[in-house]
Amino acid sequence: MNNILSFDQVCVEASSAKAADFPILDSISLNLQQGESLGIVGGSGSGKSTLLRVAMGILARGLSLASGTVVTAGVDLLNVGPEMRQKMYGNKIALVPQSIGEALSPHRTIEGHFKDTLGSAASIEKIVDALVDSGLEGSKFLHRFPHQVSGGERQRILLALALVRSPELLLLDEPTSALDRDVAAEVLATISRLQEKRRFALICVSHDFEVVRRTCSQLAVMNHGRIVERGPTDHVLTKPTDSYTKALLDSIPKPNHRIRESHSMGPNSVISANKISVIRGTKNRVLDSLDFEVRQGEVVGVIGQSGSGKSTLLSVICGLVSPSSGSICTGDGFDLSIPLAKRPLNITGAIQLVFQNPDDSLNPKRTVQQSLSRYSGATVSQLIQVLESVELTSTFLSRYPSEMSGGEKQRVAIARALLTQPKILLLDEVTSALDVNIQAAVFQMLAKVQQSTKMAMVIVSHDLELVASFADRLVVLRDGQAIEHDSAQIR
Amino acid sequence: MKFFTKDRTPRGKILAYCVLVLHGAIALFVPILHLTPTDEQDATTMLQGISVDHWLGTDGLGRDVFSRVLHGGRPSLVIALVATAIAAMIGVLLGSFAALAGGWIDEALSRLIDFLLAVPTLILLLLIASFFGQDPVILSLTLGLMYAPPIARVSRASTQILLARDFVRVARLQGGNGLTILVSEILPNIWQVVFNEIAMQFTWIILAFSSLSFLGLGVTPPTPEWGLMIAEARSYMTINPVSVIAPICMLASLVLAVQALVDHE
Amino acid sequence: MGLSQSSSMLFGGKTSAFRDGNVKSILQRVFFSTCAFVALAAVAFIGIDALPGDGCTALLGRFGTDEQVSECRTENELDQPLINRLGSWANDLVHGDLGYSIKRDQSVDEIILPRIRNTLFLGLVAAVIAFPSAVVIGLLVGRFPKSRVGRIINAGSVIMMTLPEFVTATILWLVFAIWIPIFPGVTVVSSDASLAELLPNVWMPALTLAAVVFAHSMRTTRAGVSVVQMMPFIESARLRGTNERVILFRHILPAALPPVVNAIAVDLAWLFTGTFVTEAVFNYRGLGRLAIDAISDRDTSLILPIVLFSLAMYLTMSLVADIVVKILDPRLRVERR
Repeated sequence: MNNILSFDQVCVEASSAKAADFPILDSISLNLQQGESLGIVGGSGSGKSTLLRVAMGILARGLSLASGTVVTAGVDLLNVGPEMRQKMYGNKIALVPQSIGEALSPHRTIEGHFKDTLGSAASIEKIVDALVDSGLEGSKFLHRFPHQVSGGERQRILLALALVRSPELLLLDEPTSALDRDVAAEVLATISRLQEKRRFALICVSHDFEVVRRTCSQLAVMNHGRIVERGPTDHVLTKPTDSYTKALLDSIPKPNHRIRESHSMGPNSVISANKISVIRGTKNRVLDSLDFEVRQGEVVGVIGQSGSGKSTLLSVICGLVSPSSGSICTGDGFDLSIPLAKRPLNITGAIQLVFQNPDDSLNPKRTVQQSLSRYSGATVSQLIQVLESVELTSTFLSRYPSEMSGGEKQRVAIARALLTQPKILLLDEVTSALDVNIQAAVFQMLAKVQQSTKMAMVIVSHDLELVASFADRLVVLRDGQAIEHDSAQIR
Repeated sequence: MKFFTKDRTPRGKILAYCVLVLHGAIALFVPILHLTPTDEQDATTMLQGISVDHWLGTDGLGRDVFSRVLHGGRPSLVIALVATAIAAMIGVLLGSFAALAGGWIDEALSRLIDFLLAVPTLILLLLIASFFGQDPVILSLTLGLMYAPPIARVSRASTQILLARDFVRVARLQGGNGLTILVSEILPNIWQVVFNEIAMQFTWIILAFSSLSFLGLGVTPPTPEWGLMIAEARSYMTINPVSVIAPICMLASLVLAVQALVDHE
Repeated sequence: MGLSQSSSMLFGGKTSAFRDGNVKSILQRVFFSTCAFVALAAVAFIGIDALPGDGCTALLGRFGTDEQVSECRTENELDQPLINRLGSWANDLVHGDLGYSIKRDQSVDEIILPRIRNTLFLGLVAAVIAFPSAVVIGLLVGRFPKSRVGRIINAGSVIMMTLPEFVTATILWLVFAIWIPIFPGVTVVSSDASLAELLPNVWMPALTLAAVVFAHSMRTTRAGVSVVQMMPFIESARLRGTNERVILFRHILPAALPPVVNAIAVDLAWLFTGTFVTEAVFNYRGLGRLAIDAISDRDTSLILPIVLFSLAMYLTMSLVADIVVKILDPRLRVERR
């Protein structure tokens, strides 16, 4: 048996006392041989990223190996010097970290990146070959700078850079999290083609079963630092045995399964926009003569890729952005194209927006009670009532944002929007930063709120299944224009 | 005190706090100690070394160095505190107002701040001190005005970062006006960064004032002031080095203590 | 790497020329800086004019009679209205005439040019001592912030930056002129001495100034490096097994450079506009020394050109820094496609 990577009863603990009450990695054992591929799925904090770093011989500050051994390509990387690790990296083992922000050096050309990685072994043919292998027209990219390539191209370049010295083991951390759906699918296809051709061992970590299904033959599910289930990918996906795996799989939005029942909508419109355009810079039309209407009690889903203008549409409705041309007004005929500061209080209160990032939507220096009552002036009993409607208890009133999870923060943000009793609630990717199981719970809560208040909602997302299972009607945006209106067609 | 430190207080910072408290105590309580008067000259005891009568010796006019050194921080501290308060008030208000107002107001105020930053500080100070006399009120006003632009710049930049954050946008959507948003969303979150900058400017103000005194345009002699004392004692430094070293140590310990408490990142 | 290749990398090579938008924005910047200079110059003229006293009171001192003063004013056209004097002063300035010092009975450029030369010389020596070492040491300290040497340099730089020049100068003087007398303590040569004569006198003031600007630019470099180190592209390069030296010089350094360029520009402007205290301590006959003398003589005909020179220097330096930063950053230099 020739293991490229083997974990034997590995436990990793946080050294500080106040850290999580479970180990970061809890007796992890796994073996990987040439040509094998393992996908690891888990929520945030499940330890999956730590596992990849431990395989590279890296322990983040504050973490320590409590027991067990890790052998990567015959070397115990945790117990060798940095020179040895540097020799192994790229040569025997390579990790492509999750690309948050700039993953390529902004001051180096693509060719420069390859030269730096290859050192004296660099040659133009080799670089072009590596790029072509990753599905790029190699010679075109050599002299480009990182800001001149698209997200998908960047991911392929990172892949080519990791593989250019033919490592035996490739580790990928959320390889497609920054990409739009279609581009992601192409990149995943390239990964699995390369893996079949070059026969390296692959570990691919993601929060998304779909990513793993497309790239890996084996699947492990992680929760609280443990591998709770492991087996062939298809088997685990179709016949899960562990309860956590089942819960995760259940919460994935599926076609023809509705989180919320469709309702008949009222006759009057809440918002109607006529040929609105938003122009950024000199020519860039973020919204291009878009017609958009929301009726009373209706839930409209807006989907589109990043840059399609969907967030801008919400900003225009709530007044954070003024349209460059076109008209937008409320059902009562109030003109909404005027800036936010000039709108009367009852109009601003009637239109509320919940943002995508839960970490950013609450003032870190204020308790929940202060955040909720600051502008609404609500009494404590009203606050408790609204917290209950988002399925939180009154104990949250005294908490600071740093003391809550992402899902809890997002519920507080929704509660705050509900306090002004809006006629229309705008939700901008409200669950995309959350784990799938929490995502589903938040949407179930929103369905209940919508049922009891009958308020109109506009829900923006890049996730078609999720929106389709919730909305009454879908609008697809592309390049600032609505291209389809009928939900049935999309299904 | 959460202004300076982030989590725990390292030993260096504790030491810095102690030094600052000591400086404050000396400046406050030195008049009631009834030391040798700072302007008492004695031609018979010029340039003496360390002795029981004169703990740090005497200067070229036979004045007691120990007493002068202890009194020497008072003018700088008072002027620097007043000037820093003025600078902080102008800087924070101007900077955050520019960011909140946005548009051409922001553009105009930013240009103004840039211009003020280009004004050669020491020339202006020397001119004012020379032509309007060494009046502490005028000096602290000038210092306050001159050191406000950097504070304004930091306040503007950090307010602008905050304005892009979702909770500030939500506050606007919930009907908050500029003032309430400034007070309850922005100031609590930029205070740490801005306070750092203010503390930094405080040390520069102290240094500017003592440089002015060193050049003979800060305090009027015989008032004891560290910069002036160093300038006076330089000519007989070889005979009585303590008379130079003592004010240097006092001045250095004060500014270094403040600097040690500032997060430099 | 051949010259042609390196220059093609600097300007984006075949991929694209220098962006038109950049040329436009640089020209805009030049225009605004010029406007700012003109506006500030006018403000300076009016401000200095408003100060009590003029060239005649400076010449005659407090014992001059009112008659003598008014006679002198008529003679030198100082009794004209402010706007006329501003006009003729601006006209002279455009034609390269800096004016005339009544007090010193000499034309201003005769007085000021040797001083500018001396100050530039001093500043240049200080810059050569400080900046190259500051960038290299800042890079290393930023790269290894936890090392013992790194911590010591760090603490030392706070002290160097915080201590006022007159303290640093006094300490250097005590050490290098009195205890180990290797440099002359006070400059005794005249202001128009040759540079060779001046050279022995330049070291101590240059060291004093170098200490200040070294600390500033070193800390800026270090801070830049420690921010860039945390960026994903550095970790990503490291995990591909890229050589550490390559990472430091080709990935970290270029990304950390823009704030350093700005800091060096500000420092250079400061060095070149006369560092009053240091020049006073060492009696070095530069622009700062002249400014102090002129201010104590109330010789406004000298103060004004000195103020203008330092304004021009600050504006030029920040302009140059902006342009250099633009040229260094491919994101600003090369068109997105």
